[in-house]
Amino acid sequence: MTAAAGAAVAWRPPRSCEDYWSEWKHCKSLWNRFHHYYAFGTSLTCRQWKADYEACREWEKESSAEAKELLQQSERARVAEQNKFAPVWQLRQKPPDDWYLPLDHSKPQDS
Amino acid sequence: MEQSGEQQRSDEDYGYGLFPKRKEAKYKKGSVGESLFTFHNKCQLMLHFALETSPYAKFLLGVMKQSGCTAYQDRHFSCEDCDGTVSGGFDAATSQIVLCQNNVHRQSHMNRVVTHELIHAFDHCRAHVDWFNNLKHLACSEIRAANLSGDCSFGNELSRFNFGFKRHHQECVRDRALRSVLAVRKVTPEEAKKVVDEVFDSCFNDLAPFGRIPHSKNDVKFASRDFQNRDRYYGNL
Repeated sequence: MTAAAGAAVAWRPPRSCEDYWSEWKHCKSLWNRFHHYYAFGTSLTCRQWKADYEACREWEKESSAEAKELLQQSERARVAEQNKFAPVWQLRQKPPDDWYLPLDHSKPQDS
Repeated sequence: MEQSGEQQRSDEDYGYGLFPKRKEAKYKKGSVGESLFTFHNKCQLMLHFALETSPYAKFLLGVMKQSGCTAYQDRHFSCEDCDGTVSGGFDAATSQIVLCQNNVHRQSHMNRVVTHELIHAFDHCRAHVDWFNNLKHLACSEIRAANLSGDCSFGNELSRFNFGFKRHHQECVRDRALRSVLAVRKVTPEEAKKVVDEVFDSCFNDLAPFGRIPHSKNDVKFASRDFQNRDRYYGNL
């Protein structure tokens, strides 16, 4: 088995800059703020989306290592936030074997 | 599974008693059957409409298809009569979502029930959920379904005359998960509450596949966009 030499895929921001912009606008919206308070009882800070958008534009302009680092750190923090708690169950490697098995037609499933 | 009215049974039946048609060997016909047929027809139509037009349902179906669990209306969904006030259920033994044709009469309700049960189906597809023997697993999926289906939306809670605001969503999720567990398992309220409390933090914060609590169709659009983008996202972290 050989690896193709010099064929590394170029890094790009995890999301497009337009996505960062729309996430920021969505975050700031009254609807979103209302529902965040309804769900979590805290006020929302949307600054990070704006910072990510600016870093994304910086990367597009200058390809700066600093912008890349900022974006990677920010997104890794988001992923870590989602994985804060240990899962209750084990994930599957493949779907259940019986998902597509035909139903037992001796028992009617529809009345 | 959705909440039900109170019923006392002496043995554990895993909630199958709420769905009597699942175990019947004979199909009863007659005048009662005729009016049931109308409900059945209506249920099938509303189900089809939900699967075709509800952004929540379409997103879940799309994610499940990518995971190898394509859900077909005629195989994985069943409109049946149910006991009490149950709206639907997920039968892991047959990989089927049950919709209660005698209790679901509005399209908006059907959309929400389908979403709720699809979350159970999604959990079944992606994880080794021990539905019948592990109460924590059952509670976890109920917490997630209540959290992510719109069951506990501000509007829905208002319509139930539950006028909470700050952090009320979580109270609703906890309460509905508790009721769902009690509806299908022979456990005491104290036992059910203990299990829900034990797994709440982990399961309330497990937002797969949405990545966020979807409070609106717009949130689902964002979730869908993130899902389409997942290869780029994880490849550039």
